[in-house]
Amino acid sequence: MVGADERLPIRPDGSSGTAPNNSFADWVRGFRRTTDASILVVFVVIQIVCIAAALIMPTSFRYLSGPNISVMLQAIPSLGIVALGVGVLMIAGEFDLSVGTAATFVSVVAAMLMNDMSISVWIASAVAIVLGTLIGALNGLITLQFAMPSFIVTLGGLLFWHGMTFLVHGAQSIGFRPDPVFQFVFGGSLGLVGTSFLWLILCCVGFHMMLQHHRLGNQIFAVGGNRDAATAIGISPRKIKVIAFSIAGAMAAFSGIINATRVNSINPAQGQGVELQAIAACVIGGVALTGGRGGILGIFLGAALIYTIQDVLLLMRAPGFYLDIFVGALIVIAVIFNQVAGNWFRR
Amino acid sequence: MSRPIYEVRGVSKRYGNVQALSNLNFHIGAGEVVGLLGDNGAGKSTLIKMMSGIVRPDDGEVLVDGARAVVSSRRDSEHIGIETIYQDTALVDTMSIVRNIFMGREIANRWGFLNHRLMREIATEVLRSGIHISGIDSPDKEVGDLSGGQKQAVAIARAVYFKRRILLLDEPTSALSVRETEAVLNYIKQLRAENVSSVLVTHNLYHAYQVCDRFVVMSHGQKVYDVAKADTSIEELTRHVVLT
Repeated sequence: MVGADERLPIRPDGSSGTAPNNSFADWVRGFRRTTDASILVVFVVIQIVCIAAALIMPTSFRYLSGPNISVMLQAIPSLGIVALGVGVLMIAGEFDLSVGTAATFVSVVAAMLMNDMSISVWIASAVAIVLGTLIGALNGLITLQFAMPSFIVTLGGLLFWHGMTFLVHGAQSIGFRPDPVFQFVFGGSLGLVGTSFLWLILCCVGFHMMLQHHRLGNQIFAVGGNRDAATAIGISPRKIKVIAFSIAGAMAAFSGIINATRVNSINPAQGQGVELQAIAACVIGGVALTGGRGGILGIFLGAALIYTIQDVLLLMRAPGFYLDIFVGALIVIAVIFNQVAGNWFRR
Repeated sequence: MSRPIYEVRGVSKRYGNVQALSNLNFHIGAGEVVGLLGDNGAGKSTLIKMMSGIVRPDDGEVLVDGARAVVSSRRDSEHIGIETIYQDTALVDTMSIVRNIFMGREIANRWGFLNHRLMREIATEVLRSGIHISGIDSPDKEVGDLSGGQKQAVAIARAVYFKRRILLLDEPTSALSVRETEAVLNYIKQLRAENVSSVLVTHNLYHAYQVCDRFVVMSHGQKVYDVAKADTSIEELTRHVVLT
């Protein structure tokens, strides 16, 4: 199939295929048109403003204080990890609204295995992640088998797993007390940086490798970008989408375990609203609602930006509803920006 | 004449009470360009879809290199070496040219990680040596930014690189400019020199006459005329398309 490749000339500058073009200027031009570029600019500008404000008013705006940075770095992963899975699924052209309540359900199951059956937290957490993966796969199979909008299927899932959590456990909070090693690995900290943040970074790198440098990622983009074209070329959209749904479910479960480890308890009522925040993080990060476009850096920055805004509002002692106002406006502005500026950049 | 590389015998296809194909015989020789002509509803598209494995015939048989074959999926037709170029080409607008060329057939190591460098080099070579449609300066360009002709060029280049034996071109030039159309037709001629066969479905008899070796005119699901270029003229072809 690739018998001809030996004859092909190697480019004299030895440029690599991973860089979009030959020179740095071309690379910049290539990057500028990616969806990650605009969010990076916005993120850096907001950080500069926040840091400048913190330097000018160190006592009234404690943005740069150790505790504040530490809390922020612990908050970002819980949304960021879910958003990575949801983002990959959105690139494949589907939605998952059930990630929040499914995450709560599987982490409650893990806690029950630990508390009631004295099963090790490691095994219980592995069970939770497998369960999350299966829930995701189930969403995918139902969606594709019956050719339904995933929006509807997973809206059903959102309510279903919320109810199931109450069915298997009830309404009271449940303790999640892992051994010290587990507590450190998934909920400890190294200086200001929480280990959960390191897990998020690790997941980001892994997902970036998968999307940009692995066959599966190429096919996820293909299926999300033009399902008919992918089918015509022999890619199975069903297979690729079920894998993407499973990834979303697995990441939701992982974030459920990370959250439970952080606060050492699970409130069965939590989780609703996470699905929309995850979609918000992706959209702010430039993932196309129509599928086929998006990047991991954007999703990460989208999640980080939501928490930056939340943090700034908390530091300014603004009432909680301000967060909704800001994030709501940000989503709409981000989509407009990606449509208008994105097209303009590409010229 | 040598044995056809692909042949259908007595195929029929019904959609409800519409007889799309009825007892049709059709064959393609090695390195032959066949013009498939006929008015709308003649059954040309059904035949193309059947050959590419998307539609299964109700009746009849398919022979590949003289041996009976079952073509019931896109995979089967791909295995035979058939590639279909549609009017709305099977490309993903949000992906680069390289990624489109290797979509579903990525060059990767044993763990599935992509060999970007090799794919990019091949794509550059394919774009340079193949159809020369101006404006494609880099294989990293997003397909959504290309013109209709450039997209066709990429789709054809992809088919050629993967050593297809038979190209099915369903109205490939209907959305193209005159110059782009010329380039696509020239490309079909080039491919014939490399022993790649093509079936060109078109409404434009002048385009067909320019490149095809043989013409098959269909009407109401049947073959009504089958003639080599040497034995006919545009006027005669027009008469058969219009009057049958």
